[in-house]
Amino acid sequence: MSDLSALTTASGCHFQSHPSCGYPAPTIEDFFFKPIFSIGGFQFTKPILLMLLSAAIVLAVFWMAFRKPKLVPRGIQNVGELGILAVRDQILRPQLGSKGDRYLPFLVSLFFFIWLMNLWELIPVAQFPATSKFAFPVGLTLVVWVTYMFIGMKHQGPIGYFKNMAVPPGAPWWILPLLSPIELLSNIIVRPFTLSIRLMANMLSGHLLLLVFSIASWYLFSATIGLLFAAVSFIVFLLVFVLEVLITLLQAFIFTTLTAFYISDALQPAH
Amino acid sequence: MPREGTGWAIVSYLIGGMLLYGGIGWLVGRWTHIEALTGVGIVLGIGLSLALIIFRFTRPSR
Repeated sequence: MSDLSALTTASGCHFQSHPSCGYPAPTIEDFFFKPIFSIGGFQFTKPILLMLLSAAIVLAVFWMAFRKPKLVPRGIQNVGELGILAVRDQILRPQLGSKGDRYLPFLVSLFFFIWLMNLWELIPVAQFPATSKFAFPVGLTLVVWVTYMFIGMKHQGPIGYFKNMAVPPGAPWWILPLLSPIELLSNIIVRPFTLSIRLMANMLSGHLLLLVFSIASWYLFSATIGLLFAAVSFIVFLLVFVLEVLITLLQAFIFTTLTAFYISDALQPAH
Repeated sequence: MPREGTGWAIVSYLIGGMLLYGGIGWLVGRWTHIEALTGVGIVLGIGLSLALIIFRFTRPSR
């Protein structure tokens, strides 16, 4: 059972139309899809397709924009430059300053890839945020984690990195044995954990909200007082939709901003 | 001026402190059969995280 809204539509179950007709509430089952095809044990599902599409679109747009770059940008090059400058000025520069510009390609790809994966939630037919499947945020977070651990060890030395991480500046020596474990745990385990959970949970709850109100609009749509409820539900659905437009962008922004923050933490010992 | 990631870093310190000392409290509590130690550990963890946050973010950097 992959697409509950389609199922409800097919069942024609409406408010007060039949005693056994209950509201078909969305469940976590709606986040599991029938494989489109499978090779051996590997199942190719809709979220994987959306992920590959996102990667392809990001690649194609930036390739087209900068295939033959001109000094005075025209057409799609304008869009590409706008996107890159937005990431540079709003995300990279506030965290890393101009010396962090070498990480711009990484942050730009990360931002647009995540944003597109989120955006599928709002696009008809696709209407599913790939990032609400935990594996995708976890994969992205692993890339970020390896990157900032590597940068930290490269710039501060393998031992120096952990030493600088474990010793907060200004703390009296006698409290260090109590504080250092918190610092290490929070930097090495809690950070990547919260980074992936935040993205997944926000997209999952957003998708669930949209499901609740779209299914309710359809379910309540009948020749009774339910029609009024259906109208209200539809208005709420539209409001949540607008909110989700913001959230898809915001979650990509937060993920990338935090990546830049962790990189800057790794570049220089405690600020 | 605090940078944008600071707020989230503070949250991860609070979670880290609670997990670590709550976990230690839970383990010691299992060993000594005093269940209240989990709660004591969590509160202690929050206190220590707050101390860490103060040292990290409110003192002028070197």
